[in-house]
Amino acid sequence: MPFDKLRANGSFSMSRRAVSWHVLLRLGVYANGLAIGFVLMGFEMLGSRYLNPYFGSGIVTWAALIATVLLALMVGYFLGGWMVDKTPHLRLLASLVVVAALYLFAVPGLADTTIEKLITLVGDGSTGVICAALALIFVPVTLLGTFSPFGVRLLLHTTSHSGRTTGTVYGVSTVGNIIGVMATTFVLIPTIGSREITTLFAVILLASGLLLFVMDRLSRKYKL
Amino acid sequence: MMVFRRLFLLAALLLAGATGFGPAQAQIKSPGGKLLDSKESLYNNIYIFKRDGLIIMTFGKNNHYWFESAYDPTDELKLPYMYSRYMGMSLAYAKNVHSIAEIGFGGGRTSWYLHKNLPDVDLTSVELDPDVIAMAKKYFGIHEEGEFRIVNKDGRLFLKNNPKKYDVLLVDAYRGPFVPFHLLTTEFYELAKSRLNEGGVLAQNIEPNTMLFDAAIVTLKSVFDNVDLYQANRNVVAIAYDGPQKRKSEIKDAAEALQNKYNFRYNLVDLSKDRKVLKHPPKDQKPMTDDFAPVEALKAIERHNEKINMYVEEPD
Repeated sequence: MPFDKLRANGSFSMSRRAVSWHVLLRLGVYANGLAIGFVLMGFEMLGSRYLNPYFGSGIVTWAALIATVLLALMVGYFLGGWMVDKTPHLRLLASLVVVAALYLFAVPGLADTTIEKLITLVGDGSTGVICAALALIFVPVTLLGTFSPFGVRLLLHTTSHSGRTTGTVYGVSTVGNIIGVMATTFVLIPTIGSREITTLFAVILLASGLLLFVMDRLSRKYKL
Repeated sequence: MMVFRRLFLLAALLLAGATGFGPAQAQIKSPGGKLLDSKESLYNNIYIFKRDGLIIMTFGKNNHYWFESAYDPTDELKLPYMYSRYMGMSLAYAKNVHSIAEIGFGGGRTSWYLHKNLPDVDLTSVELDPDVIAMAKKYFGIHEEGEFRIVNKDGRLFLKNNPKKYDVLLVDAYRGPFVPFHLLTTEFYELAKSRLNEGGVLAQNIEPNTMLFDAAIVTLKSVFDNVDLYQANRNVVAIAYDGPQKRKSEIKDAAEALQNKYNFRYNLVDLSKDRKVLKHPPKDQKPMTDDFAPVEALKAIERHNEKINMYVEEPD
């Protein structure tokens, strides 16, 4: 790093300018974590608006939604962890987020026909609603779920700070989740249609992905 | 302006969220009387009270109770809640009355009354909550018999999966204070309409005090040619049908014929006098769709200033 100087004890010192960028980049990662967490849970709440007209509003529909989100998060965590150790760069996360954005752009147009097709194939009972929930939610949430292992791996520099880094990454994501659930339920769903909200989420993710690409370039110059 | 309306919605929601559900009609602190039974089902907290000789089914939370149904054990044809009587007005609008389906069974008062008066008519009642059905059978003197049956299913799914058509569709599905959104959209009403025989009608019970009422009748009007309204105490029964608007005399004659044939406890001819017609729908209200049907929010906001009388008329 051009702005770092090697100290006698083996640690690096950074110029004040580099420190500012360093802090900004780390904050940037957390900010994206907020946005990603927000969309993740917001989209789960939207799921009920897509599914209820076809499968009713019973507890089975909610079970399908919740189970699918958890499954997708699980896959996202495992996959994300494996991916980031192989390629520890923000740009990989950026591409995953952009793909999630593209998926969400496609959802409003394709959701109804897809659900109808699934119902003709497997009926509208429990199998149907689980398949529909998977079709709607699995891909984007898996992609977004990779954020947490990425965040930990890329932000973690010393074992002595590993606890707080991990805690902060997950904590900030969870704050995003909370805001996503509340804002979607109390503000977005009452004011605009669910398909519009989905597109809004897609735009947020696209912005997040592009920002992550920019941050990736910066992180080659300044320490993350 | 739409912007202010949306800001108002947001503010009202936050307020409603802070104070518990918005003021729902027929909601009181405690029904009083004796608690006979209660059940926390998957969908509702059901409380059965006995008060003043009536057995009352309520759905409740936080000491607020929404009255769903009332039954006099000594008089099974008595309908203490007026709206149930007006639901029967739908019979005077239908070309034939051979088959009836009801979505939202509650205590089964409306359907039992109709079944007892018209035992030969095929009557199916659809209810999502199996515990509600069980409670009704236990405390409200209901049992399946003859042409009357109860189906435990989501109302929309029932209509979707059953190609059978009916002469009359009664819709009265409430989850505590509000109607599930997928039972209040244009897509739902289109589906319901496709399950009506020629000359068939749909009757819906709506509370008039909140924005949900505006939304419901606008949505109904966007799917059906006509929406007639009957004010029943604190509820409104909307009867939706296609074709030319029925004249007052037409309805009266049909009511009279039915009254003579079946001798209803609550005289249909008398009830028919309360008919009003939707002249122009409430402004600023779009029909609800599966995409946008914020029923929970609308329930929280009371209608201001505009009374129903402002957009109904009593034509000849």
